[in-house]
Amino acid sequence: MLKLVIEKELRDIITSTKFTVSFAACALLILLAFFMGAAGYNADVGRYEAARRENLKKMEGITDWMMVRNNRIFLPPRPLASLVAGVSNDIGRTTEVHGRGELPQDDTRYGEEPVFAMFRFLDLEFIFQTVLSLFAILFAYDAICGEKERGTMRLSFANPLPRHTFIAGKLIGAFIALAVPLLVPVLLGCVMFSLLGVPLSADEWTRLALIIAAGILYFGAFLTIGIAVSSMTLRSSNAFLTLLVLWIFAVLIVPRSAILIAGRAVDVPSLDDINAKKFRYSEQLFTEDRQKMSGFSPAKTGDMRKMVEEFQGFMGAIADERQKKLDEFSARLNEERANRQALQSAVALGIARISPSASFSLAAATLAGTSVSMKDRYLGAARGYQQSFGKFILDKTGMNPGGGMVFRVRTDETEKPKPIDTHELPVFVSEEAVLADVLPPAMTDLALLVLCILVFFAVAHAAFRRYDLR
Amino acid sequence: MAERPMFEAAGLTKRYEDGVLALDHISFSVQPGEVYAMLGGNGAGKTTTINLFLNFIEPTEGEARIDGIVTHREPLKAKEKIAFVSENVMLYPNFTAMQNLDYFTRLSGRPAPSRSAYREALLRVGLEEEAHGKRLKGFSKGMRQKCGIAIAIMKNAPAILLDEPTSGLDPQAGFEFIGLLRSLRNEGKAILMSTHDIFRAKEVADVVGIMNRGQLVMQRPSGELAGQDMEKLYMQHIAGHTGLAS
Repeated sequence: MLKLVIEKELRDIITSTKFTVSFAACALLILLAFFMGAAGYNADVGRYEAARRENLKKMEGITDWMMVRNNRIFLPPRPLASLVAGVSNDIGRTTEVHGRGELPQDDTRYGEEPVFAMFRFLDLEFIFQTVLSLFAILFAYDAICGEKERGTMRLSFANPLPRHTFIAGKLIGAFIALAVPLLVPVLLGCVMFSLLGVPLSADEWTRLALIIAAGILYFGAFLTIGIAVSSMTLRSSNAFLTLLVLWIFAVLIVPRSAILIAGRAVDVPSLDDINAKKFRYSEQLFTEDRQKMSGFSPAKTGDMRKMVEEFQGFMGAIADERQKKLDEFSARLNEERANRQALQSAVALGIARISPSASFSLAAATLAGTSVSMKDRYLGAARGYQQSFGKFILDKTGMNPGGGMVFRVRTDETEKPKPIDTHELPVFVSEEAVLADVLPPAMTDLALLVLCILVFFAVAHAAFRRYDLR
Repeated sequence: MAERPMFEAAGLTKRYEDGVLALDHISFSVQPGEVYAMLGGNGAGKTTTINLFLNFIEPTEGEARIDGIVTHREPLKAKEKIAFVSENVMLYPNFTAMQNLDYFTRLSGRPAPSRSAYREALLRVGLEEEAHGKRLKGFSKGMRQKCGIAIAIMKNAPAILLDEPTSGLDPQAGFEFIGLLRSLRNEGKAILMSTHDIFRAKEVADVVGIMNRGQLVMQRPSGELAGQDMEKLYMQHIAGHTGLAS
């Protein structure tokens, strides 16, 4: 009998005009998201390559590695980030690397093109999060109370039909009728993605499949919530209104409120505060070093080269000492801020996860590698590169870069210096998140979506046991 | 030895949560091959009685039995033996008449019959063949009513419950419906129907029960009503209208 109810539900949904219209709209939006994603990715790759070329080009003609002062690294575009933007447009995409010191991230996408920040992008995550949840509500709000209003419930339950079979059949039937057709534009979108020249590795395909699975789970969560509300109301207009309010809270209010509440509950020192403290400490160290410098007196050998070397050694030593102190101080401040930020983030995400919408967003962004950890991953890679770069310059020049003051003495004016070969520079590699890294954190949110489905199915079942069939 | 009644109300009482006493200890029975017509105005308790037989609500006191099965104790078992046609048959509008018939027949627990069996059932209730493959959304009330009766026929249940079945039907359709009820009675079905239509009730029923304010105020075999002014009798038994018809 369950199979019969499922079949009926499938046929009832698929033959309706409501399905034809809403499915066409959803399919179009899904395909559009893939198309826009592919186009955006290809454009990003072009910009990235041009920026890298430009970075090397500006070093052309330099004959001394010590003069390489504005070497930049760039965050490479990621195919999955074009489908699930996450924070990728909010974090800086380039960093100037000096060999030591802070690594500020510049040129966020939204900073560069603020109009995009106004309305954000039409990516796959947005389509799933907003459009598909509404699609689910559109079909679930009258699943139960609509049958009562239309009068079909009386005739159905004049037969030996158990209530639990009916409600399970409704949910399974609606899920299959709506989710399976949605997979068609999604699969077409994947094919389009490949045809438009977006290269995806096996790991990325697997992660994309998991993102789609998360979307389907999220869709199922809203479908179950819809059926639960429909089982608790006698009029479909009431069910629709209730679901609309729930949708607004789940999709728009709860995630934003969670951030606000966490911001109030856990105070995190601002970057300006931290930078001001660092600047004051740096100034203090410079003042101390100036006193040391004024006390410097080279050995009176009369050899200019030796004097310069001695001075350079002295300057290098105090610069190293100063940098060490500054690094320790910065590290302490950064760690304190990072700890507060981690606590704030835990509170915010903990509250936000009340909403299946937040769980889906977090799962999708984690799987795409565009969650908040994207920034840390990039910074980690940038720090690694900074060390390689520093060592490279040290090897080339015998001096640590970024020491503040450099004295170069050229003794043989007849030999024309050769330009540096920029291809010798270490290449920045920003490892992308892989499945093994992202799956464990994403599992929490995927499990929450499954839990949401189970809880609301239990609610629907319990409510329908007492439902007035008259 | 008397046959076991197919429908049986034994001291059936229903008081709703708001305190309204909708049914007050009513008792009657319907034998196989018998048509029982419940007459009464709005709020008399006819639909409450039907809802109790369908186990849509539970009795406060007493029992509703179908073929000896107490409906609120074994509702699924009781529903295997009952077919129901409501006042305004509502089916799935996106399904054709055939598809609706197929769904509700299989929902009754019967294995799916052949297409020709569905066709015969629809023709028997007077639904023309060209309408069998059409979606219900374009059907008139009378056509939907015919589909509802075809569903009841296909279920082949020994007990048939009809809630205001002729309400809204044109005279021709009403006449055809009465003929159909007679043929079902002749097949041995027990039929319990609620109606406002005192003339149709007298025409087809073997027993007429008049209900008023939750009580069964009169119950007589229709043979005893022969030659009596049915309207006058009805008015005498409802809402203290005695004398109005004089």
